[in-house]
Amino acid sequence: MDLVADVITVEHLTVAFPAREGTGEVVRDVSLAIGAGERVGLVGESGSGKSLTARAIMRLIPQPGRVTNGAVLFDGAELGAKSAPTKWRGTKIAMITQDPLSSLNPLVKIGTQITEMLRYHRGLRRAEAKARAQELLRSVGIPDPRRTMTRYPAVLSGGMRQRVALAIAISCDPRLLIADEPTTALDVTVQAQVLTLLEQMTADHGSAVLLISHDLGVVGSFCDRLLVMYAGRIVESGPTTAVIGGPAHPYTRALIASIPSLRGELPDRLASIAGSPPHGGAQAAGCAFAPRCPMAREVCRQTDPALLEIPSLRTDPADSHQAACHALGDENWNQAA
Amino acid sequence: MTDPAHLHGATTERQAVTPAGQAAAAPATAAATPASPRPAVDVRDLRVHFKVHRGLLGSQVVKAVDGVSFTIAPGETLGLAGESGSGKSTVARTLVRINRPTGGSVLLDGAETARLGGQELRAYRRRMQMVYQDPYDSLDPKMTIKDAIGEGLSVRGVPRARRRSEVEELLARVNLPVALAGRYPGQLSGGQRQRVSIARALAVSPEVIVCDEAVAALDVSIRAQVLNLLKDIQADAGVSYLFISHDLSTLRFMADRIAIMYVGRLVEYGTSGQVFSQPAHPYTQALMAAVPDVANLGAARPAPLPGEPPNPASPPPGCAFHPRCPLAVEICRTVAPPLVRKASGQLAACHVVPDAPEVTP
Repeated sequence: MDLVADVITVEHLTVAFPAREGTGEVVRDVSLAIGAGERVGLVGESGSGKSLTARAIMRLIPQPGRVTNGAVLFDGAELGAKSAPTKWRGTKIAMITQDPLSSLNPLVKIGTQITEMLRYHRGLRRAEAKARAQELLRSVGIPDPRRTMTRYPAVLSGGMRQRVALAIAISCDPRLLIADEPTTALDVTVQAQVLTLLEQMTADHGSAVLLISHDLGVVGSFCDRLLVMYAGRIVESGPTTAVIGGPAHPYTRALIASIPSLRGELPDRLASIAGSPPHGGAQAAGCAFAPRCPMAREVCRQTDPALLEIPSLRTDPADSHQAACHALGDENWNQAA
Repeated sequence: MTDPAHLHGATTERQAVTPAGQAAAAPATAAATPASPRPAVDVRDLRVHFKVHRGLLGSQVVKAVDGVSFTIAPGETLGLAGESGSGKSTVARTLVRINRPTGGSVLLDGAETARLGGQELRAYRRRMQMVYQDPYDSLDPKMTIKDAIGEGLSVRGVPRARRRSEVEELLARVNLPVALAGRYPGQLSGGQRQRVSIARALAVSPEVIVCDEAVAALDVSIRAQVLNLLKDIQADAGVSYLFISHDLSTLRFMADRIAIMYVGRLVEYGTSGQVFSQPAHPYTQALMAAVPDVANLGAARPAPLPGEPPNPASPPPGCAFHPRCPLAVEICRTVAPPLVRKASGQLAACHVVPDAPEVTP
């Protein structure tokens, strides 16, 4: 990772909403870095803070939430300190969301929505923009671009809308594409198409990807590196193979064990995690997972564990595998693995 | 004919494709005799056609379900999979009679129910319950948990004096603390709400519960709890499930047998072991290949299936899957293939996949 400069660096990001009790912090001390062309996955359940992390990068935190701490650096310089978001949003960093029906303007034809982007950001003239838009739509697999450009978002299928959103997102060759649950609303065969397309388009345009999903299978099959979030914190991070093949945090382990598989031995019961994830910020002290954790001890209820490197034989710093758990390195923990 | 996959608790049988397991695939046509014991649900050639008005110029018939047959044995789980527009939810809604079948029959414990009305229909619905995808929509927000569950008990004729204790029993059965009884749905988490929906369904002691994407809206760590709970309830009460999901890995865990739907018809139907170890229909194969599986991350992603599921209002002629099918030949474009037994043991509707050799009885 040292060879390629990081496109985006998030340092100690904290996002809070006003709360009657507790801190109201829904994203807590999140740090991450994504290198050029790298594909990083952010996994978590609802309320884990994964989408708000993305929105904080885009400076789109909904009111009354606000970033109370931390910084977002783009190519090493702080984003937004000097430049208005419109200078970089959409061009340097683009985003696609779960249902483009809510991100595309329902009253504006597809063609206008793409050409508007190209004319505003790229300074193309009307005819040029139109030709480029057709090219883009064709490249995302839309069969009849000329006709599609005259249509409204609502008449397209979910898969087609997501293709249009992707075409718009990559139209200005963004350095980073944030994809927030881009395939959650799609059928599984269409999901496979969109993921393949996302892979191909971002490779062609050299964009780094931050893929956000609740589905470990989706991020696991797509990303080089994974970040697992729980109750606003990153609890585990590392190369996909390490995190899924040898999960270190009890939450990651339980999550992987609780997913039924299409292959291999079929358990009689699924391993399940008791309780449910906390919503609206974590409790005051201790590890947020402690109430559900089979390995929790006294210390877990008192202090929040730091994200620490997992001792391993690997030497490449790019393979860094970290987890935030007091049990790390315990004999019990190793046996449990 | 003894049929292990039809017996309650025969989950261990479904991994191996044994000769007995092959016999487990239920009759595909109304003409075939049902396997013993008598199925809890026997759906024969079910058709649900909707008339859709198109402006002033007349109307069009949408064949949401078009000739679907399956059986569910007592204590068994039939998994029904398919993409949007496949008609799987229409099957569910027709079974609980939100929709009226326009053809075919639905037999509950051997008795025809497709044309029931009035009192009889109410009695029928007591025996066939449904758990919906979104517990936010399916529970009355102004009704406390104990009232929501108690309503079912009163329908079953449980005297008022005993309702409270039965509500508490039901809450315990779905692993909810009794303290929640006085709360409103809005005060519960998604997983808790779905447990209430299950308790509410159980309140009338149904024989069959239709679960339509019952865990799809739940968080991953909650899903496993609810799936385990549904299995426990089945082991306890011997209830049958029609378990509908777009998620094949969930179905593999839950179901004894699997039916795959595509645009209103079954394209594959067999035991879980048969369908998951040797999917016969090219659509089933593509569906399985498209699932990103945590247990199989090393594998290269296969080329995705082209196109999207067709609009059920205007399905392609012949085999509805032919425009997306890598195996399609000329006949697929004109003739819809029948659902017949294939060499791998299950039933599939495909011209190309070889049929099982003829067996003389």
